[in-house]
Amino acid sequence: MAQRTGTPKKGAGPLAYLSRGSTLKSLIPLMPFLAFVAYFLVFPLTFIIRDAFLSNDGKFTLDNFAECFKGVYGHSFAVSIRLSFISAMIGAIAGAMIASAVVKTGTRSRRAIAATSSVFANTGGVPLAFMFLAGFGTEGLVTKALKAVGWNLYSGSFTLFSETGIILVYCFFQIPLMVLIFTPALENIKPEWREASDSLGGGRFSYFSRISVPLLFPAFLSTTLLLFANSFSAYATARAMTAGTLPLMPLLIGNLVDGNVLANQEHLGHAMAVCMIGVSAIVMGIYLLVLKFSKAKP
Amino acid sequence: MLAASAFFVFPLIAAFEFSLRVNQGKSHGFDNFRWVFQQEGFKTNLGVSFRLALLTAVAVLVLMVPTVVYLHLGGGRWKRMIEFICLVPLVVPVISFALGVGTAFPVFLQSTVYELSFLYVIVSLPYTYRALDVGLSSIPLLTLVEASRASGASMRQTLLFVIVPTIRSAVNGAVFLAIALSLGEFTLAVLLHWDTFPTWIANISQGHILNAIALSVLSLVGAWLVVVVMAIAPKSLRSNKTQEATS
Amino acid sequence: MSKKLRVLSGVIGLALATTALAMLPANAAVDASKATSAASFGGLDNLIKAAKKEGTLNLIATPRDWANYGDAMDIMTKAFGIKIVSDNPDGSSAQEIEAIKTTKNMAKMPDVVDIGLSHVAEGAGLFANYRVQNWGDIPRQWKDTNGNWYGGYTGSIAMCYDSSVTPAPTSIASLDNAAYKGMFAIQGDPTAAQQALISVFAVAVAKGGSVKNIQPGIDYFKSLKSKGIFVPVVANASAFASGSFKISLTWDYNAPGFIAQAASIGKTVKCTYPSDANVAGTPYVLAINKTAPHPAAARLWEELMFSQVNGKLAADLTAADLALAPSALFAIVMGGQNVYISGGASPITGPAMKAKKTAVSPPKVLTVPANLPGSVLPSLAQQNVASTLLKTAWPKI
Repeated sequence: MAQRTGTPKKGAGPLAYLSRGSTLKSLIPLMPFLAFVAYFLVFPLTFIIRDAFLSNDGKFTLDNFAECFKGVYGHSFAVSIRLSFISAMIGAIAGAMIASAVVKTGTRSRRAIAATSSVFANTGGVPLAFMFLAGFGTEGLVTKALKAVGWNLYSGSFTLFSETGIILVYCFFQIPLMVLIFTPALENIKPEWREASDSLGGGRFSYFSRISVPLLFPAFLSTTLLLFANSFSAYATARAMTAGTLPLMPLLIGNLVDGNVLANQEHLGHAMAVCMIGVSAIVMGIYLLVLKFSKAKP
Repeated sequence: MLAASAFFVFPLIAAFEFSLRVNQGKSHGFDNFRWVFQQEGFKTNLGVSFRLALLTAVAVLVLMVPTVVYLHLGGGRWKRMIEFICLVPLVVPVISFALGVGTAFPVFLQSTVYELSFLYVIVSLPYTYRALDVGLSSIPLLTLVEASRASGASMRQTLLFVIVPTIRSAVNGAVFLAIALSLGEFTLAVLLHWDTFPTWIANISQGHILNAIALSVLSLVGAWLVVVVMAIAPKSLRSNKTQEATS
Repeated sequence: MSKKLRVLSGVIGLALATTALAMLPANAAVDASKATSAASFGGLDNLIKAAKKEGTLNLIATPRDWANYGDAMDIMTKAFGIKIVSDNPDGSSAQEIEAIKTTKNMAKMPDVVDIGLSHVAEGAGLFANYRVQNWGDIPRQWKDTNGNWYGGYTGSIAMCYDSSVTPAPTSIASLDNAAYKGMFAIQGDPTAAQQALISVFAVAVAKGGSVKNIQPGIDYFKSLKSKGIFVPVVANASAFASGSFKISLTWDYNAPGFIAQAASIGKTVKCTYPSDANVAGTPYVLAINKTAPHPAAARLWEELMFSQVNGKLAADLTAADLALAPSALFAIVMGGQNVYISGGASPITGPAMKAKKTAVSPPKVLTVPANLPGSVLPSLAQQNVASTLLKTAWPKI
């Protein structure tokens, strides 16, 4: 059976020294990481956060945040969260299915697939938009091929430039990300457990629901969270493919901070960026609650 | 699996077919790719991106592996905090982050292209943390470490020769992600005014759409070749043996 | 006086005079960053010499095929030996201003900027006062009285389409045709891209609105989108290559570049001014960075961009030309205002050039319909009203 990880009993085992002692002492091994993150991540962020509370004249104000929740900006919360959630779910489930197929292959090909997945997981922006337009666009290679066998993708109202289309395009990097990160978890499901479960009279379903799902659930959920955040902040691809008709938070921030039309509204952009961090904190909180709740089950 | 490969492969094929179009689209050939290699600055900028990727990969290994291992051994109470920290780089919009970096960092740091490596480590944190975290969660870490320590190994030896080989695939995943990210990252490099391979591509492909497409296909394929070669290059026998012993 | 004394005093006088002349500060080192005109350098020759010494010019967000900047860059390099460093060609005006703010004291700081009028206020305090030689020819409304910034060129909205499209679109109203399904796009988000914003103005004017009322334009986009005619893809070269759109609204000065790009993939693109709207944008503004790392080169660039000479391009310069004195060479190279024209843009000193007869002919790639209405230009205030409305209305179309 898999060992539970986590803090061992106090005072037991050769690793007891790690969990004894004051809170501060237990932070010491994390110092290099924390120092690195403090300088290279938190330090730049403090300027963004500070500016979110400033007006154009440099005075402290909460107006930027008030503005964040009104009109198109407030609406973008819903659109971004919904799109990211759906994209994460599809990516997670499809990715998990593919991962379970990958696990059955040999070590070398598994590593090759991992490498390939990492490259796909990092595609985005204009190259990805072009690939999809060249493939699935109205004059795309795939569209033409499908037409030849009688299936016209565009006979209905399907378009790549809608929320659905964007979710489809996002799958291109979401699924490989899931495959890449979830496969190691699957690799450690031993076949002996299946044999043990079968020999105890359990069927396929009970193996699934009592053994593999509970074991894999935390990894599955945490990777889904990653997929959510990945989709939530994706910017360049949507920008190339929706010309502003889909109000997503990163796009709106781009218009405010980096555009050619709206000027002197960077502070609102910074406030929106802080809001994005806030949303992800809330989503992470929900994830932790779900995790706790699932572990509490008998 | 087949449907999945089709989904991923077809857009690539479409783009590849495009990059092969020469002579105003009347025929196919490799001219666009040849043009790429002939451009001044190809080697220099590719070299810059390679060096950045290397530095990022090393920094990720050195920084993240011990950290995540510690979180799984005794530092469990900090796990939630670190997990959140590692999610932040993903949700902060890159343009805002670049603006913060430009305002915050001192001149000496902003005068070297290697500032990008440190930033790439940060940007890859969500992925590398999660890869290592999932990998470590699925092995009998405590048993391994106790056994190793009981056999007289120091913590450092345990880390290097027991833990890392056991989570080899997770470590690979983390490193591949870091490298692929560094080789293809564009926005931070552009906003911090550096010449890396992706920004060089954008610059020289102004006005040459076919070459631009060829270049983006090339950088995708190139990054893929790099990580795949790393993946299937022969690994030491010892790590294989260790894996067998613990399974 | 005796003869000897006269000769002696003559020699002493001569010696004194020569010494005095030798001691005069000939060309005392001019602080280029404080120069407010070519006269501050002591003439164009000295300005060019100082620029040559610096040897480099940092540009930002300046694509080669935008209003034909490529030709101007080539002239700077070939005629004056100044290397062009082109950072972030697809960047936005906001990024240019940010670059100046965040790269203080670094060698990669932009020397000059070309930004939208809406962003001039953001650049307050960042630019240097400088008046080019043709200062008087710049219309008063498009320049700062102290020379802090000056409009360089402007453009109008044109319609470009793949020649295979039938029937060939002639007006914006004619786009409402089922034959155009999946074909029409604009250059991005009107709340992010100036081109897209002015395109919306053009559509509004064509459909009975005006620069004060863009609602008819928004309604028309909504109707076209519901019919599948309008496609929300950013109408750039790569989207065109993939066939995602075939008709677009774009700046007239981007037409030559677009036609050339299309030709390289074997497609023919035709461009025309729509017969029901003639909308120009506010000029793009040029300015010099107050703390430019290459102040002389920056000022030379501005002098070049406002030069009205009908002269030679970089490729036509002979060795004899390059051997000329700097200001003589300057007088025979193609001036920036003409480079803008050959790119399809309207240079800011256009009226003056017409009077002086120094303008080149615009490229013949744009068809001008016989019944083209008079040009209208939405003011900055009107653009702000429109972009505020579009923020909420555009995602709803």
